[in-house]
Amino acid sequence: MIIKRLGLAIALAALFLLTAAALRYGASEGMLAEETATRIVMALTGLGLAAYANIMPKQLGRARRSPAAEARAQAALRFGGWALTLAGLAYAFLWGFAPLSIARASAMTVLGTATLATMVYAIWSFTMCRGSEDASASR
Amino acid sequence: MNGVFKALSDPTRRKVLELLRKRPMTAGELGEHFPVSKPTMSAHYSVLREADLIDGLKQGTTITYRIKLSVLEEALLGFTQALGIGTGDNEDANDPASSAKEGRIS
Repeated sequence: MIIKRLGLAIALAALFLLTAAALRYGASEGMLAEETATRIVMALTGLGLAAYANIMPKQLGRARRSPAAEARAQAALRFGGWALTLAGLAYAFLWGFAPLSIARASAMTVLGTATLATMVYAIWSFTMCRGSEDASASR
Repeated sequence: MNGVFKALSDPTRRKVLELLRKRPMTAGELGEHFPVSKPTMSAHYSVLREADLIDGLKQGTTITYRIKLSVLEEALLGFTQALGIGTGDNEDANDPASSAKEGRIS
């Protein structure tokens, strides 16, 4: 299962690199504009992120010690999945259709905010879980 | 993907997913929320497991179920809940256990 997933990830990365190289070559040969090549590569990156974030809540891993810990871990995975999927789609949309100057700044802002929100939620979930476990242990 | 649509088309299975979204539950805890027999619930769990929407952890004689929805599947669940798919007269047609029972009777 892990080898299959790793193989898929490597194949996807190779596809991204090949697409980027082909688009760069096309731009240098005058077959398409430099801006179009950049937009396509960045939009594909956003869609790739959205595809990976989509399956994030399915990666449950091992069972946690308590049902409360399990619920919090799942909630953190779901929050991260939603935040990064929406951010990936927004990133792709912005690079696809917004003016370049706006796309550069806003796409990174959207992605950064989603990543930060995911991390803060995960840390908060972990802290709350530890707190409740400590409280139940001291009782 | 067909399995996912089949699993989400039934209101009982959607209710199971809604309950598991709050926290993991054992088969017994889940069964308390539904006025149906254990074999019927087992059939529903089986459909959900086949669609890879839930995950069952067996500890002794207890099975604890955890939700396993991707973002897209969760969005689909929300849509089917909002549209009320499967809550009409054809509810029994989606019930795997009742379909099996009808098969035995006839």
